[in-house]
Amino acid sequence: MSILINRNTQVLVQGITGNIGTTQTKLMLKEGTKILAGVTPGKGGERVENIPVFDTVEEVVSNFSIDVSVLFVPATVAKDSVLEAINSGIKLVVLITEHIPVHDVMEMKAYVFQKKALLIGPTTPGIITPGECKIGILPANMFCSGSVGIISRSGTLAYEVAANLCKIGIGQSTVVGMGADLVAGTNLVDILKLFNQDKETKVVVLVGEVGGTQEEDAALFISAKMSKPVVAYIAGASVPPGKRMGHAGAIIERGKGSAKSKIEALSVAGVKAANKLYEIPSLVKDLLL
Amino acid sequence: MRLHEYEAREIFSKYGINIQLGKLAKTTQEALQIATNIGVPVVLKSQVLVGGRGKAGGIKIIDNLNEVERAADEILKSEIKGYKPEGVLVLKKIEIEKEIYLGMTIERTSGIPIIMLCSEGGVDIEEVAHRNPEKIFKLSVDPLQNLYSFQIINIVKKIGLTGKTLIGVVNAVFKLYQVFKAYDGLIAEINPLVITENQEIFCVDAVLEVDDSALFRHPELNKRKLNNMSERDKRLMEKGATFVKLNGNIGLICSGAGLAMATMDLVKDYPPLAPANFLETGGGITSELMFDCMELVLEQPGLKAVLINIYGGINPIHEGAKGIAKAIREKKVNIPVVAKALGNRQEETWKTLEEAGVYVIKESETQQAVKFLSELLGVKK
Repeated sequence: MSILINRNTQVLVQGITGNIGTTQTKLMLKEGTKILAGVTPGKGGERVENIPVFDTVEEVVSNFSIDVSVLFVPATVAKDSVLEAINSGIKLVVLITEHIPVHDVMEMKAYVFQKKALLIGPTTPGIITPGECKIGILPANMFCSGSVGIISRSGTLAYEVAANLCKIGIGQSTVVGMGADLVAGTNLVDILKLFNQDKETKVVVLVGEVGGTQEEDAALFISAKMSKPVVAYIAGASVPPGKRMGHAGAIIERGKGSAKSKIEALSVAGVKAANKLYEIPSLVKDLLL
Repeated sequence: MRLHEYEAREIFSKYGINIQLGKLAKTTQEALQIATNIGVPVVLKSQVLVGGRGKAGGIKIIDNLNEVERAADEILKSEIKGYKPEGVLVLKKIEIEKEIYLGMTIERTSGIPIIMLCSEGGVDIEEVAHRNPEKIFKLSVDPLQNLYSFQIINIVKKIGLTGKTLIGVVNAVFKLYQVFKAYDGLIAEINPLVITENQEIFCVDAVLEVDDSALFRHPELNKRKLNNMSERDKRLMEKGATFVKLNGNIGLICSGAGLAMATMDLVKDYPPLAPANFLETGGGITSELMFDCMELVLEQPGLKAVLINIYGGINPIHEGAKGIAKAIREKKVNIPVVAKALGNRQEETWKTLEEAGVYVIKESETQQAVKFLSELLGVKK
């Protein structure tokens, strides 16, 4: 068991013929990911790693049953590509692309919600269920299979946390990178819910960072609904606050958003908070015993 | 990208929002010329990109034409919180009957634009929001729908306006939201939005921050941004790297903002070691980018060491390593460089780095790298 993806997940790669798309397709195949098709407008009929390439997602879904689409498309066309995937009935979209205008992300998020689908990203490293399926750019040698679920707002921190757990023999059920943008397609709470229902996941590690109120919202969910132990780390305790202009941001966050506010909220909810990155493995180990 | 008040107010005006007479002066003579044209009393406002300029003496009200040059000179010469003004905005003073706060931004968790209104506008708005949050009225906008007048009328009525001023403020909200959408705004704010004795509505301060990721849709702003950047900064921006100068002695290069912050948190555990910068490469590492990053970090005076913490997921770290090695050779770096680099093609990466004299940490814990660095520099926790 795992969440979102497993060994049977059938995958489409949008933007497969680009440099990054091709490189990452090879790496995903190496981990056993079932990639059935790719899309790049204008490259229909070509093949990448022997995978057929189509011009549109519509053509792909009329030939294959696709569970997940992963996108390596330029930021300028990302909204278009996400809407295309959702309109073709794909229920899980993983958007790797960085630097997408936030107004586009807001539109995508609202649209995906309306269609009862799920958007992971943008600026996400993707999802991995170690040993079964990897969707995205996560380096597979940092992960190992087991019973800890990881959700992380930072991509590279997810790699480090997983690798440090593997080192003491603790593997992961599924690792999900939430994406680091101002607005994320999916929030921490949405993924916590999935881990809460997953039989194989025994402990969840939440890796947050300063900014926004996702961790404070997660704390509310954890104290009300979560039946599994959670370990949390918030990056950025020592980061000086940025220069501000205008009051709108401060008014809306009303004191939330700092590492202190997040750690306090999570601690009150019963979460084991790691003050430093290196404290995570031992906290997890204690909870697994 | 934050726009200056003089730029933002011109954009607001283009969309039909009422602004005061006046314009930007770069010199005292220009300031006098503008003041003569529009007539006293005038308000002189320093054009700096930081908040709190009024309290720092950056805003002056002048009643007499003879005093304009001297006051403008003072403003032009005064830095505010370390920032030199780009000019002085000379505006016709208006009689204020009432000040309203109008702001819009993005609510991050839900991912929707939020419009905020408060009947008590002015410099103490954050204080009001903190003490009396019920006085701030909010309107969420569905990103897939238009904003309709009836929605705005409903919220504007809540701050107690009626008749002509109700309609005037509704118009201002509507137009500011158009700017917010059209300019890919992160923040658009008018504080205060002034109602005069004659029940006219004026935008008396203008804030607009544009999403950097959307500059491809705003070529004129992009061009202005590029004009103010060095060639190296342009290359960094193009690759999506983010640099913030800090005051410490350890140069940092990390792939990912979260990892960079976590690394900074660990370095701070070993005083007097402290981060000299925040540098996040993004997902576009190349040999050239890492060379630029090294060069940038090494500019900090009093640097004791460089710590590199990168992962090869999307990033070809084996290419990045070549740039690091090149920088060490060409810049004749004589302080320690410690690197933790893991992920795809890590062995090649390690080899390149070791040949350049870098101390390579092959463990996954960043703490190991920080601890190693501190021992190298003889600092104990």
